[in-house]
Amino acid sequence: MAIPTLFFSGVLLYLVAWNIYLSFLNWSLVSRIPKFVGFGTYSYLLHQYFFKIGAMHSAIFSLGLIAIGNPLGIFLAGILYFLPNKFRTLMVSIFLYPLAISMATNGLIWTWLFNLHLGVDYALRLIHLPTIPWLTTPTTTIGALFLVEIWAYTGLAVLFYLASFMGVDKSIIEAARIDKAGGFKILFKILIPNSMNGFIVSTALLFLFSFRLFSLPYVIGGGPTNLNLMTLVTYLYYLFYSEFFSASAATSVIVTVVATAVIIPYALYGIKRWIRRE
Amino acid sequence: MVKVKVKDLTKIFKKGKNIVVANDKISLEVDDGATFGILGESGGGKTTLLRQIAGLEIPTDGYIYFDEKVVSAPNKIIVEPENRNISLVFQNWALYPNMTIYDNIAFPLKNIKMPKSEIDKRVTEISETLNIKQVLKHYPREVSGGQMQRAALARALVKNPKLLLLDEPFSNLDAQIRDSARALVRKIQKELSLTTIIVSHDPADIFSIAEDAGVIVRGKFVQIGNVSELYNNPISETVSKLLGDINTVEGEVKEKAIVIGNLAIPFDKKIDLTEVKVGIRPEDMRISQAEIIKNYVNIGKVKVKVSSYSAGIFKLIVSPISDESIEFSVNSETHIRSGIEAFLFIRPEKMKLFDSNGNRIM
Amino acid sequence: MNSRLIKYIILEIIAIIIAIFWLIPLYSMLINGFKTNFEATATPVLFPPKVFTISSYITVWGEMKRPLINSIIIAIPVAFISTIFGEMAAYFFYVTSERMPAVSNTGFSIISLATFIPYQATLLPLIELEASWGLFNSYQGLIFALLIFYMPTAALLMSIFIPVIPKYLIEAARIDKASDWTVFWKVVFPLTIPGFLATMIFVFIESWNNFFMPLVLTSSPSLRLIPVAERAFTGGYGTLYNDSYAAAVIASIVPLVVFIILGRYFIKGLAALGGGAKGV
Repeated sequence: MAIPTLFFSGVLLYLVAWNIYLSFLNWSLVSRIPKFVGFGTYSYLLHQYFFKIGAMHSAIFSLGLIAIGNPLGIFLAGILYFLPNKFRTLMVSIFLYPLAISMATNGLIWTWLFNLHLGVDYALRLIHLPTIPWLTTPTTTIGALFLVEIWAYTGLAVLFYLASFMGVDKSIIEAARIDKAGGFKILFKILIPNSMNGFIVSTALLFLFSFRLFSLPYVIGGGPTNLNLMTLVTYLYYLFYSEFFSASAATSVIVTVVATAVIIPYALYGIKRWIRRE
Repeated sequence: MVKVKVKDLTKIFKKGKNIVVANDKISLEVDDGATFGILGESGGGKTTLLRQIAGLEIPTDGYIYFDEKVVSAPNKIIVEPENRNISLVFQNWALYPNMTIYDNIAFPLKNIKMPKSEIDKRVTEISETLNIKQVLKHYPREVSGGQMQRAALARALVKNPKLLLLDEPFSNLDAQIRDSARALVRKIQKELSLTTIIVSHDPADIFSIAEDAGVIVRGKFVQIGNVSELYNNPISETVSKLLGDINTVEGEVKEKAIVIGNLAIPFDKKIDLTEVKVGIRPEDMRISQAEIIKNYVNIGKVKVKVSSYSAGIFKLIVSPISDESIEFSVNSETHIRSGIEAFLFIRPEKMKLFDSNGNRIM
Repeated sequence: MNSRLIKYIILEIIAIIIAIFWLIPLYSMLINGFKTNFEATATPVLFPPKVFTISSYITVWGEMKRPLINSIIIAIPVAFISTIFGEMAAYFFYVTSERMPAVSNTGFSIISLATFIPYQATLLPLIELEASWGLFNSYQGLIFALLIFYMPTAALLMSIFIPVIPKYLIEAARIDKASDWTVFWKVVFPLTIPGFLATMIFVFIESWNNFFMPLVLTSSPSLRLIPVAERAFTGGYGTLYNDSYAAAVIASIVPLVVFIILGRYFIKGLAALGGGAKGV
């Protein structure tokens, strides 16, 4: 019964292994007949400027999302927790709808909103606030993408924290109410301390979703070559299309290793927590 | 039917760093057509034993035989549960919620590809016997607890098993219908002379269904025997408590008497101990204003603390007038108001003595 | 009015304000496609159209029709096949978890890896594989590539939903001599239908929205999927014109409608990835 899934999982593992093999060659546009070079391609990569900024941007976009997404998720989940059921469901849907739309579309919409004349800057000018030069300077370009990322993925953190909060025994909350604990006290002394589960999974998933961002920088940056938005994932795509095949494979391997370092603990945690219910 | 033999069965669970010995070298034999009860506290390992007999758990060590044929061996299931010709009635009945009662009962027959007409005949027959014919078209959630329990029993019996395993089958039923459910199971078991093993923490289940029983404490059988033998001659305080209500009170051994506060139980045998635990069941005690009752011994004056009523009997809690911290639970045929003082009588031959570790000494 | 009620109202107002910010992109997408091209390039993005027109939709529809059909041809089978086979694998891992914990733990780790790995990292070998099997630039090739990632995703989600079924039901079925196949179809499947729907809708939306796979695995315009086709209307660097808004709406309409009607299933699927099967 498990054969089809095992087959496709096997194909995936095969692709990963193939990548590792390719990364030890020096296959590219200039060396059509690949030779084995060991870690040669990796040391070549580490000296590439694009690789360095790609790695830096990937780190900014994923660690930054964790740093902002978690507290914002706790804040919003904390508000939603105290709201009536129907209203809460509606709000959760609003925070999650960006995930139902293609990131390519989301990128498209935001590029209009970042238009200096007619986008959100128009509204800022209208109420006499300073405008932001969004996609025209390197720093604000990164900031702009970061903003979109927060908008797109914070809903996940809200969902996971809310699930953790709702998992706390209702009678404990009721007892706290009777003991005259206010909303803040309930949030900080009861709900958050009991939400380790939410913290672990939202950190893991925010990292994994942001680490593989491709469509947003691709669309907002107008293609894979925008230096301001180049991440490891867009860089490996860029390397592939400029026919630096082994360098692309090596970058892929690095991306895979980093992601796996987060996925395996997540999987073991999930087995323990949800499958075996220990 | 089948004869079940269990030899030196051991089951160890590892949960993280914790190691739990659920069954520790358990041996047991249940003859063809006999009924056997397994009694014990919850968490004592009795369900684990039953699940191993069913083949749902793999033994860590030891063997299980059905009619001299090995079905389970150390770390190995030799005959899978589906090939053991057994039925298991689960504590919560395990009815498939997505099927009607009819489909639930028919399920084991469909799995052996029995022709439809035969299935229909058998399901109708068993549902008549068990009086659930009127609910066959309903889903489990739409019927009462008693009907669900009988449906589970019907599903267990319809395939003519060689061995019937019952895991706390009555504990989820209302008290009023438990007795009729027990009687029904006993009647069917006798008619079919079906080898049956029942697991329960409630001695009433064991008394009503089983002829012989074993008491499991911390993974081990501490006593096996005929049920009335277990009741009257428990080897320890724990066994005596598992088989029914019993008062166990500390007493001081004096010359010719065991003294409990102002109460004195005549006792002239020689023992080395100065302190003993006196065990006596509520039905072996009486309370009266009169000073003498035939076959009973008056042991002194007590005060009635609490008077309550359950299942046709008045239950009293009484204390020696000298010490309110000592309590006896006593049955009474009439209501006696709390606060009243009266004489406490016991049947001396029913008294059991335990040492401070709870082992029976007399 | 007591102070608790006032606090609730303040919380609701904060929540509504944040929600409005969250809805701005959706709002601007919906309104701008109804502007004339001149108005779209001359009026603020946040202002509704003065003259309501559907001309841009008519223009875009001609080019978006084929990709829309292509996306349906791809996403529906991917969602359905992934979920059915994924659930079977999840059931297999569930029943083997006790007897062969190593097998089911490894299996679970591999499906987690396939679910969350940056799939772009398989780009080169994937193209090589598809090219050598003659799958490159074909419907089958796209479906195959998406199944590599989404069948394990479905298996992962179903492994989280299946343990909700009490184990004793499966044991009872075994004692009743049901084969694995019977247990799956007669007991497990009927009892996991909500989880099945959640998984199927999750996979459907994810594969519909996947931009990377069709970008790299197809070359002919007739095989374009919706997210790629939509990009043809962007005009680079935030150039505004009404057609791109209309294209964005057409690209999002299917997942948005699914989200509005069956959103609770999608949310259930997402929640399962993070908090087990209990959900919100």
